[in-house]
Amino acid sequence: MAGPSPSPHKPRRKPKRTGNGTSSNLPSAPTREPHARTPAFPLEAILWPARGSVSQWEMLPLILMVAGLFRWAAGLWGYSGFEKPPLFGDYEAQRHWMEVTTQLPISQWYFHDLQWWGLDYPPLTAYHSWLCGKIGSIINPSWFALYSSRGSSDPILKIFMRGTVVVSEYLIYIPAVVIFVRRFSRLSGVPTWTASVALVAILMQPATILIDHVHFQYNTVMLGLVLASISSMLAGRYLWSSVFFVGALGFKQMALYYAISVFFYLLGKCLFPRTNITRLFGVAAVTAASFAILLLPLAIGTLYDVSRGIEARPGLKGARVPLALFPELANYLDTDAFYYPVVEQVVQMVHRVFPFARGLFEDKVANFWCALNVVFKLKKYPSELLQQGALLATLAATVPPNLILFFRPRKHLLPLAFAATAWGFFLFSYQVHEKSVLLPLMPMTLLLSGNKGLSKNTRAWVGFANMLGCWTMYPLLQRVDLRMPYAVLTLLWAYLLGLPPTSLSAYFQSGSSLWARWGTVFIHGCFYLAMGLWHVLENSLKPPLDKPDLWVVINVGVGAAGFSLCYLWCLGRLAVESEILPKSWIGKGSKAKTQ
Amino acid sequence: MAEIYPSLAQCAVVAAALKILLFPAYKSTDFEVHRNWLAITHSLPLWDWYYEKTSEWTLDYPPFFAYFEWIMSQVAQLADPAMLRLYNLEYDSWQTVYFQRFTVIITELVLVYALQMFVDSSRGASKRAAQAAAISILLSPGLLIIDHIHFQYNGCMYGILIASLVLARKRSTLLLSGLLFAALLCMKHIYSYLAPAYFVFLLRTYCLSPKSIFRIQFLNCLKLGGGVAAILGTAFGPFALKGQIPQILSRLFPFSRGLCHAYWAPNVWAIYSFMDRALIVLAPQLGLSVKAGALQSVTRGLVGDTAFAVLPDITPRICFALTLLFQAIPLVKLFFSPTWDSFIGAVTMCGYASFLFGWHVHEKAILLVIIPFSLIALKDRRYLGAFRPLAVAGHVSLFPLLFTPAEFPIKTIYTIFWLVLFLMVFDHLAPASSRPRFFLFDRFSTLYITVSIPLILYCSLIHGIVFGKSYEFLPLMFTSSYSAIGVVGSWVGFMVVYFSS
Repeated sequence: MAGPSPSPHKPRRKPKRTGNGTSSNLPSAPTREPHARTPAFPLEAILWPARGSVSQWEMLPLILMVAGLFRWAAGLWGYSGFEKPPLFGDYEAQRHWMEVTTQLPISQWYFHDLQWWGLDYPPLTAYHSWLCGKIGSIINPSWFALYSSRGSSDPILKIFMRGTVVVSEYLIYIPAVVIFVRRFSRLSGVPTWTASVALVAILMQPATILIDHVHFQYNTVMLGLVLASISSMLAGRYLWSSVFFVGALGFKQMALYYAISVFFYLLGKCLFPRTNITRLFGVAAVTAASFAILLLPLAIGTLYDVSRGIEARPGLKGARVPLALFPELANYLDTDAFYYPVVEQVVQMVHRVFPFARGLFEDKVANFWCALNVVFKLKKYPSELLQQGALLATLAATVPPNLILFFRPRKHLLPLAFAATAWGFFLFSYQVHEKSVLLPLMPMTLLLSGNKGLSKNTRAWVGFANMLGCWTMYPLLQRVDLRMPYAVLTLLWAYLLGLPPTSLSAYFQSGSSLWARWGTVFIHGCFYLAMGLWHVLENSLKPPLDKPDLWVVINVGVGAAGFSLCYLWCLGRLAVESEILPKSWIGKGSKAKTQ
Repeated sequence: MAEIYPSLAQCAVVAAALKILLFPAYKSTDFEVHRNWLAITHSLPLWDWYYEKTSEWTLDYPPFFAYFEWIMSQVAQLADPAMLRLYNLEYDSWQTVYFQRFTVIITELVLVYALQMFVDSSRGASKRAAQAAAISILLSPGLLIIDHIHFQYNGCMYGILIASLVLARKRSTLLLSGLLFAALLCMKHIYSYLAPAYFVFLLRTYCLSPKSIFRIQFLNCLKLGGGVAAILGTAFGPFALKGQIPQILSRLFPFSRGLCHAYWAPNVWAIYSFMDRALIVLAPQLGLSVKAGALQSVTRGLVGDTAFAVLPDITPRICFALTLLFQAIPLVKLFFSPTWDSFIGAVTMCGYASFLFGWHVHEKAILLVIIPFSLIALKDRRYLGAFRPLAVAGHVSLFPLLFTPAEFPIKTIYTIFWLVLFLMVFDHLAPASSRPRFFLFDRFSTLYITVSIPLILYCSLIHGIVFGKSYEFLPLMFTSSYSAIGVVGSWVGFMVVYFSS
């Protein structure tokens, strides 16, 4: 977006650091891509004039402004549940939590009218809602008035809510991305300008903009905290890493998708190359302390409320109710003890956050179970069996990448391992939502900032995952008339990165084997064709009367198949890059698949 | 010559994505104006177009623009026929919004094409500068605010203007340039402010021999005169046959309007009004008489009629005389050195004069100065020095057009983005001047740009917090006075550059 480059001024940038001080655990010396004469895809062309002479501090503010503009403009469109009574949607849920947290004593937060969007996220979300609600109440108290504000569609309130998403993202996610890209690109020996291209690509990722800024949620806060945790791992600050990760878990339980990888990486770092007991205990202690601090406001608030005679469930008039989970705990605990309300509170929070009572999957999600359900009706099996099956399958999918990470705890493997694990969870775990696809997409998109991140192969696969991810969320967006922002943001991203349907330039590279090249082209081609055809059919034909969900079911099937491929690609590439496989295998076997 | 990246098309695609995302944004009454014109041209015979007055937004553009609306209405009936009904006032179904907003984006392709012509017409080292200038026009916050949010078709109109200016660069296309400009005049008559520069330039380079001003090239005169007459005939001929010309003229030139528009455009009259208000306070000390009638006018400065309390009133005649005077000065120079660069300079000067001294000037007219100026702003650092305060002032003065909170971040962040990016890029690209720079002018422009930050903050946030809804005229007055100083300053600076180069 900048004009041409040669300048009469001397460049202000410091001389580039040659080599990498931190590259001790890189597999090989960083391979600089030869200076290309022409940009390979439009995003490179747009940033082309900034090569060489422009410092990062001149580019960064401009990049952040553009990212912000697109976010705010996308936010002008409708949100989930806009004027859709009786329950409205995610927007109302978030607004309602601001209402609950600002209007009620803290001990009632997790108990208040659970039928109307009862709070079912961990405490950090509740504190965040409280802060936003307090600020909003200064502007207009009626936005968060108890009961009377339900389902409000005040346009100024919408602006305020959109503002809270943008501000939260710019305080947490965006700095985390910027820092991560800086660290990871230096680690991988990627030049600054290339890293800036990757930064723009990551910030313009359509899925996060569509879900957070259009459909409405605060996923980027959680994703940002996870990113901060990964960045801390890159910097070797393991204690901070655990603090940030506890923060992410405390904001949204969905961060559990990454928990195994965090655990195995930190454990691996404590055990290899030689056992470091102090670090192990340090990490354990800091994690425990972070959890304690996370729960502290809730606990103190509950005790304070009890001392004031405020009950968590005013409707019950003091009657004791068994705990929602683990009711047998009451046999070991003194129900009249001063700490019992806190136990009750924490158990209720956990019960709200992990809804074990719900089914294997909700709605239609492009994961393994939902796709399998098309062929075998899974509902007829007892839910315990399904839960165990899901647990086993998830473990089977997530153990391989994490074992690799455990035995080879190397920094440059982190995004791949996180992506493979999150794909495993998304495909096989229990109670998955279509928006959860943001979790595997985030670390996978980060690959763009790594070694050869903008090469055709990586771009093709990262782009494929993102396009497919957005496509599986189309039914969700289409329900609230968000086709236009969906089309604009996904096509813009595809255009910028030179991906289908706008360009085929990410394929057809020289240097790889004929099979590898045409294999990728064929597989991706089939999926892109299927997606395009599906859009045409969905737009022009009504599904047959006896199969009203036909289009969604096809979407789920295609999505699940594509996501499985993404999982396999991440896993295969992880195996290759970790050099855990014998050299002789790589030459033949997985190279065909991964390169 | 190697390609220069990014190409105009690449920038246009990204910009179009943002513009489509802005579909649900605030739209002014101009949206309804253009919907009404679609309805008028589609449902009435030609003879009734300029008499129809069901809506208060009557057709007040010249016939070519009406034909343009008629062509679009042929497509509009496929999108939503209901928008073409005359009595369907304030109709804005989503199909209507999508259709009208899309027409703005699509007709803007004319601008992209014209800018590409401009880049292609530049040679050698200045090609990079031309590309940067072209992209700056394409991404102009003025066009984004006025066309894609507020709603108008300036992108297309300025595209035609730039195409005509570029055609004037080669001797072989001079005739085409003049004819294209004549056609543009028949689309939107505001461009007649630039006509004197065209007249002088074509007279000197096309109608008179390049060697001697006393040798008239009769064939060329005939071609140009005949061509312009044919174009005017196509536009106004059908109406002239029915004797509707007086009616059309009364629509095109509504002299009943006041000196200043609803918001004050940042011109000398804004400074004049500001001084008048200041003198009301100071009058007792200075022993001046205050006209009581003007003090009573509550709407002073906000709605059409402006009455001055201390200073003498301004008549349209004074405005006209001043405009003509300040247009004539640069034209003398153009006549004696008719190069393309001084032609563009003269067009810019004509834009300046009409904007600064014109009657009932709208702040949107600042594009009439900014866009021609952009084409030569990178000539050397002295031109850039004069361009900088104009770029800041001109765009900041457009802020009051959008007053809704949802669009506030868009207009400010986009404008700041544009200013930071292009002032930085221009600074890298503009070659040093062969002549010494003026004393203090750069200091003035740096100081001026710095002041804009507290000003924007005050007008958008602090004023609302301190005064709430009262004194609403204050931010407007500050914005327009501030912008007026910038525009006048850059005008003075440019005048010096123009006459000394």
